[in-house]
Amino acid sequence: MARFRQAVALAGLTALEVLRQPVCLLLFLISITLTALLPFLILHRFGEDGKLVRDSAFALHAVFGIFVAGYAATTALSREMEGGTAAAVLSKPVSRDLFFLAKFVGVVGVVAIFSLCSGLTALLVERVAEKFVMSGGMVGYLSDNQTGGLLLLAILASCLVGAYANYKRQRPFGSITVTTLLAGLVLCILVAGCFDRAGQWAPFASRLNWRLVPVSLLITMALVLMSAFAMALSTVVGTVPTLTVCSAVFMLGLMSDYLFGRHAAESLWARTLYSILPNWQHFWVCDQLNAGGQVAGTYMGLATLYAAVYSAALLCLGVVVFRQRDV
Amino acid sequence: MDQATNSTVLEVVQLTKVFRDFWRRPRVTAVDGLDLSVRRGEIVGLLGPNGSGKSTTIKMLLGLLHPTEGSISILGGRPADVAVRKRIGYLPEDSTLYRYLTPRETLMFYGRLFDLSVAERRQRTAELIEMTGLSAAVDRAVGEFSKGMARRLGLAQALLNAPDLLVLDEPTSGLDPMGCRQVKDLLRALADRGTTILLTSHLLADVEHICDRVVIMYDGRPRAAGTLQNLLETEERMTVNVPTLDAAGTKRLLDLLRKELDCEADVSRASMNLEEFFVSVVKEAKATDASGHGDDSQIAAFLCKVRGG
Repeated sequence: MARFRQAVALAGLTALEVLRQPVCLLLFLISITLTALLPFLILHRFGEDGKLVRDSAFALHAVFGIFVAGYAATTALSREMEGGTAAAVLSKPVSRDLFFLAKFVGVVGVVAIFSLCSGLTALLVERVAEKFVMSGGMVGYLSDNQTGGLLLLAILASCLVGAYANYKRQRPFGSITVTTLLAGLVLCILVAGCFDRAGQWAPFASRLNWRLVPVSLLITMALVLMSAFAMALSTVVGTVPTLTVCSAVFMLGLMSDYLFGRHAAESLWARTLYSILPNWQHFWVCDQLNAGGQVAGTYMGLATLYAAVYSAALLCLGVVVFRQRDV
Repeated sequence: MDQATNSTVLEVVQLTKVFRDFWRRPRVTAVDGLDLSVRRGEIVGLLGPNGSGKSTTIKMLLGLLHPTEGSISILGGRPADVAVRKRIGYLPEDSTLYRYLTPRETLMFYGRLFDLSVAERRQRTAELIEMTGLSAAVDRAVGEFSKGMARRLGLAQALLNAPDLLVLDEPTSGLDPMGCRQVKDLLRALADRGTTILLTSHLLADVEHICDRVVIMYDGRPRAAGTLQNLLETEERMTVNVPTLDAAGTKRLLDLLRKELDCEADVSRASMNLEEFFVSVVKEAKATDASGHGDDSQIAAFLCKVRGG
């Protein structure tokens, strides 16, 4: 039980320290603001606004999420070892295994908060995007500008609350802003869920596209996997090499099917690389969604298993290396 | 001394640390064949210039670095034992603290690592913040602290668990002379109550005032070790202390020494060292300590209380 309490303390501190970093806040705000502006930036008039907005929103979720995961993991381990805080904590009655795994849990916490914000924003912007409607005496293409305005207001309000808390009460700007942003997005969902696109009362949440949720969850799994990779790598190398290798692995993993998958049958090298590299395409199911389908439960289960086994293997490797590491 | 006082808290035999490069080739031998034994209640100083292996030695004692050779027995166990580390307080060289946490959050966090109850954590945190003079900065992020303030907070976290063994890496680095003096007085008070202290420093005046024994390291190897009296005593000359004499009295004393003992002698006024002088001036100037420094008698009382003494 004592170990559990230590793990909770370490994971909580890791998440808090990462969320208070200005770089982390910047990644959150840029990603969410760009996503919120998508319906206004995409000037498409053939009834496919929803598809373009969805694809772009999830692309932003994935790309910025990779940076958040990589940055959080390196902050949690590499930078703590370089800065000496890891040594200060490990001089206390904390085992190295616990330290490493609790740090990972903290990083996953940050990734989960980012994904929650991105997922909620994706739900909202998909609703904002122009669609053909026939309700309340209105027929034609209609954008939900009220929800769009509400979303932008929530982002602005979170920054103002963070600034006020920092100015008046010396509270950390980053974590307060992110917490307020999350609360604001939940509020937006609650408000938007009560109205249809024409501004009429509707049964709660019936007008939100919940088919987006599994897509967002799959991207979150990919980000958790990337966090595990970055954590394992951080035990060996510093911040910059970790982020560089993570970016390379992200690119190679995206192109894995093309680069190695098609040669896997005839080449041992291609087969090995195809097996070793994480395949991010498993976590990208937007095309299926656009074709009108839904993400099957069995697919979700298999993808979860893939991410879990891969992450567990990486974490085991990280634990073994970290035990031998001079801090 | 009774048996408990004589018991060995730390035993190091032929400790060696070789740092290697990326390709595992030996790069530098930071510590080379160090033997060290520390008894309960002692204050032992590891001295040496920068790069002499002091901090590396301390990190090996805490299990943060893996020795290349040699053995370490600390509080009856190995450095990697979690139970052993529960009884150790450690102040790192640069007061490495989480820069976005406040002092209260920092101490509450470390209290959770020691599995203290919520009530204990709150009480000790409040007391240590008060005692280290950080009450006015309790809601400021540690990243905004001066080096001296960070050092005080570092010392507070090292004392949080009322340790049996206190390991301090450059404890007075960054502190003003008053702060230095208070830390030294505190360490002496802790040692008198049975806490064993191992510290490193390259500020020799600090060590001279408080250490029972010193080990002088250079280039990773111990070059001299022993009590300060043994190391500093000179065979060739003696000092005679007398109350201040007038000119006639001084002349009579010199004549007496020269005639009766047939030796060269000189007389000069006894003087304080600069630190003693500074402290006395500041104490006179300030009836109350307005610079935010804590009171070490409070800390001693705090330690007495948490240990049930």
